[in-house]
Amino acid sequence: MRVGFVTPRYGPEVMGGAETAARQLAEHLVALRGWEVEVFSTCALDHLTWENVVAPGDSTLHGVVVHRFAVDAGRAPAFYALDGRLRTAPSEAGRREAERWVELNGPVSPGLVEAVRTSDLDVVAFYPYLHYPTVWSIGRVPMPAVLHPAAHDEPALYLRVFAGTYGDADALCYHTVAERRLVQRVYRVAEKPQIVLGLGVGEGVPTGRPGGEVLGIGDRPYVVSVGRVDEHKGSAMLAAFFRTYKERHPGPLALALVGPVSAHIPDHPDVVVTGTVDEADKWDIVRGARVFVSPSALESFSLVVLDAWQVGVPVVVNGTCGPTREHCERSGGGLWFDSYRQFEAVLDRLLGDAGLRRRLGTAGRSYVAGHYQWPVLIDRYAGFLEQVVARGKVRDHLRVPPRGTG
Amino acid sequence: MAEDTRGNDDATTTVDAETTVDVAADLRRVMAEIDEEVRRRRASGDLPARVERELDELFLQHSPVAGHGGGLADALRMVDASAFIDPVVPVASDKSGGAVVKKGLRTLNLWYIGFVTHQVSRFATAVSRSLHLVDERLQSLERQLAAQRVPPAGVVEAPWAHGPGAWWVPVAADALAGAPGRVLHAASGDGWLVRALTGRGVDAYGIDLRPGVVARAELEGADLREEDLLEHLRAVAPLSLGGVVLSGVVDGMAPGERRQLLGLLSDRVAPEGVLVVHSLSRAVWMSDRAPLAADLAPGHPLRPASWASLLGSAGFEAAVPDPASADDYVVVAVHRPVHAHR
Repeated sequence: MRVGFVTPRYGPEVMGGAETAARQLAEHLVALRGWEVEVFSTCALDHLTWENVVAPGDSTLHGVVVHRFAVDAGRAPAFYALDGRLRTAPSEAGRREAERWVELNGPVSPGLVEAVRTSDLDVVAFYPYLHYPTVWSIGRVPMPAVLHPAAHDEPALYLRVFAGTYGDADALCYHTVAERRLVQRVYRVAEKPQIVLGLGVGEGVPTGRPGGEVLGIGDRPYVVSVGRVDEHKGSAMLAAFFRTYKERHPGPLALALVGPVSAHIPDHPDVVVTGTVDEADKWDIVRGARVFVSPSALESFSLVVLDAWQVGVPVVVNGTCGPTREHCERSGGGLWFDSYRQFEAVLDRLLGDAGLRRRLGTAGRSYVAGHYQWPVLIDRYAGFLEQVVARGKVRDHLRVPPRGTG
Repeated sequence: MAEDTRGNDDATTTVDAETTVDVAADLRRVMAEIDEEVRRRRASGDLPARVERELDELFLQHSPVAGHGGGLADALRMVDASAFIDPVVPVASDKSGGAVVKKGLRTLNLWYIGFVTHQVSRFATAVSRSLHLVDERLQSLERQLAAQRVPPAGVVEAPWAHGPGAWWVPVAADALAGAPGRVLHAASGDGWLVRALTGRGVDAYGIDLRPGVVARAELEGADLREEDLLEHLRAVAPLSLGGVVLSGVVDGMAPGERRQLLGLLSDRVAPEGVLVVHSLSRAVWMSDRAPLAADLAPGHPLRPASWASLLGSAGFEAAVPDPASADDYVVVAVHRPVHAHR
């Protein structure tokens, strides 16, 4: 089987969730199934500028053949004004305006589109729905096209241009049931073949060092949040909630924010911002935490939540984030909050009840083992792709209309 | 609550892997207790309203477009907390003398700013009051409706009629051979009919709203989903389904739900698409052999001729194959929109 992946950025240095997911699926298809996998991507690594930083051409990375194409236009300055205008009522934007949004957002790479269109792959997977390479390729490829939307409940999802993107997919692969529900609320694609797959968890093993030692806080208890420390990821909100919590609950408890920092977090004696740490340190820190917190409302899957469960740590998630809340509800491994009051009550309850923490951590761990170990996941994905290929290319005689238009 | 200082590994409470703990029920119970605690603390007023408002606004800042957390009461609470516009702006400053300058400017402008903010606050209060009235009316209507609401029909469980050995399965499979598109089966159960159809070369998938019923088969690679039939059909592209098999879903349906179903089928099934409706007979429904749903369902099985008539009105040409039993029947219909009488 020859499988292609189309993704705007590619490589181990890329931190984006969707791009990392594409790379992991590609590499595991090679490693576990021995399939031929090719990636069509750009020379860019930065999702804000799409600046060409990697040489164009072909290379091989962990068994995956990577075709890189130059970006003709990255994110244009005019993007921000248009985005600001469209995001207030995205479903009202015209198709031409929405297409322009896609072009200004970048990365514009006609060479990539042409290469995918003329390839002779058995099936091609597009990851995610949002960018030029997917939007301009998916309707032009001769082989079956699988769309991995990695959709959030974000204004762009409602732009009309994406009705074509979803409509041209021959099959869909979702991270979670919540993502499928979201997409089906916006686009009529429920009859298409589909799978809720998710992602595989890492193989990381803690070294056994106490997490507090890694953090430099000794044996103080702590809660931890791992991922980009970013306003959009809810990090600033979590830090503010935690400061208020500590004012009302003095004690040794600390908060550790672990990950690359792109938001200003005010200094506080109980808040540790580590910046990027290596994998071993990350696992030690997570394993030693009383509770893992995922404050982001905009996750399409959240591997870090599964990582926490893998080492038996209970999680607390943002209650408005469909996918992470779904993980909690399906696994029984975590609680959620949708206000400061609830955050405080949840934290109080968990910190005061080690038995509950243990129960949640155990439930989370078995959920991960049953669903998200790579061999299990790749078996399901490979079977799905084989079905899609056997079914062949399906050209809908009708474009998929957004909900509410017919 | 006092902190339990034990780590997650050294807690003395353990969960035996063999223990059949209903984790979902446990989670619901814990969250219900937490919600109760939140209500209790909110009522106590132990957190200044200004602080709570600022923190909640921070939370909402990056919430999803169609965020599903919180209800109208929470939104109204934030409206109330924001209704007063304070004309006395803060004057703190990092710069030397800055606070004095700001205070002077504030004093000079207070008569003007105060006049404007007073009117804005009055307007906001009026809006808030109106929203509370709407909320009260809505709550009253919801209470009245809840008492009269017709629940959607659940899945009727009749294993003798809903399995690969049932007499009507070959009839359905023959009718669906060559269907012009994917075939949907509801309620699919564990995918028994989807597997049978797929084995005969039909591109089939299934849905079932009963929690957990499709989970194992879905993990094993079948295209099965835990979804409600009407919600699913609403998310299907027009004229895109090659066929639909309904078994265990129409038997106890109320007239309103059935009307919606027929409208959706008419819109979503492709021309020449095939619809197979299976139902228990009225006789079985009234007998002691009837499934539990018979007593609880809002409707009852129609006669085959009634289905044929309803489907005719929805643009289908219906036929009723001779049933092999008096206990159940199928209606097989082909979508020929030109015949619609609507």
